[in-house]
Amino acid sequence: MMDCLEFRRQVGAEPTLSDPQVETHRRDCPACARYQDELRSMDALIARALAVDTTRLALPQKKAVERAGRHRYFAIAASIAVGLAVGLALLVSAPRESLAREVIDHVAHEPGALAAIGPVSAGALAEALDPEGTRLRPGVGDVTFAARCLHQGRVVPHLVVRVPEGAVTVLLLRHRAVDGPEHFEEQGFAGVVLPAPRGSIAVVGQGVQDLDAVARKIFDAVDWGE
Amino acid sequence: MNRSDPETEAGRRFATLCEGLRPDLLRFAFWLARDRQLAEDVVQEALLRAWKSFDALEDEGKAKSWLFTIVRREFARTFERKRLEVADLDALVAAEAPVLAAEDDGDLAAMREALFRLEGDYREPLVLQVMMGYSTQEIADMMGLQQGAVLTRLFRARARLRHLLGLTPEPAS
Repeated sequence: MMDCLEFRRQVGAEPTLSDPQVETHRRDCPACARYQDELRSMDALIARALAVDTTRLALPQKKAVERAGRHRYFAIAASIAVGLAVGLALLVSAPRESLAREVIDHVAHEPGALAAIGPVSAGALAEALDPEGTRLRPGVGDVTFAARCLHQGRVVPHLVVRVPEGAVTVLLLRHRAVDGPEHFEEQGFAGVVLPAPRGSIAVVGQGVQDLDAVARKIFDAVDWGE
Repeated sequence: MNRSDPETEAGRRFATLCEGLRPDLLRFAFWLARDRQLAEDVVQEALLRAWKSFDALEDEGKAKSWLFTIVRREFARTFERKRLEVADLDALVAAEAPVLAAEDDGDLAAMREALFRLEGDYREPLVLQVMMGYSTQEIADMMGLQQGAVLTRLFRARARLRHLLGLTPEPAS
């Protein structure tokens, strides 16, 4: 027969425990029954307490930038990139206004980038990308603009790529992680930011058909390096 | 990029798994690390390790416990590598106050702070049991302990919480 000490030892470890001996003791000992009920209530509160809002777990911008600078970013396998691009691009999340606005503002303030029509040299493209250890595999389209731009206090590669669907601006935002694809439309531009092995990648266009497919193609063409 | 379809399919499956489980993985890492930045780092590193050994996961129905085990190991590695020390619990609580806050619910906020102050040996099995729903035997397997040791830690965890919340006197060790 279970005594109070044994009952409390067992339900103290597993408040939801319900076996014949426990139930019998509960019936015979109102104090122990009350003790178990209190523990069950406490467990319900623990469960609520542990379920913190993951949006609050997002790092403040300053911390995120510091982290981007020191973190040993991993060289994720190429196919996970495709997996993330294809799998996650299907999940449309609410746009983060600040990120959307930052990207759109950057594109809108550099109209000359979109006006360029001649393909840049391989050297210019490498100069824009290589310091980051990044490459753009050939075949995705003509790169008509490639530069390293100041964006939100960070130097980021800024490309304009001409694909059959139109011209798109590509920003490689290594310092800015996103949890999922973020779509946005502002100032006549439409864009999407996709999570990448290193931060994120923003693809923005005007009147581009099937921007998601274009973004996936470009994402697929980026080799993020080691 | 040359990839065969099976590889692309594996990437897609992995991404789907991660997408669904990432919030819980992040919460778990946060309650282990008590530091948002460290939690994020641990989850990212763990997912990389998971991807590298994704082929070894024979039953995707067990992906959840597999990923949690990887996160737990990655946290242990990070903790060992960085020789992290908790010098000031009050400072830790203050630093993570935005996460611990629970507007208009004092009991919830108090419980979060109590959990934050709970020793790691007690906090971890409690998180695995209450948040993740693991049995004491599963927790024992994950932590490399005897089931009896897990039961003792869970009992003491709740006793400590009751004390931290002012419900009981300091429990005897």
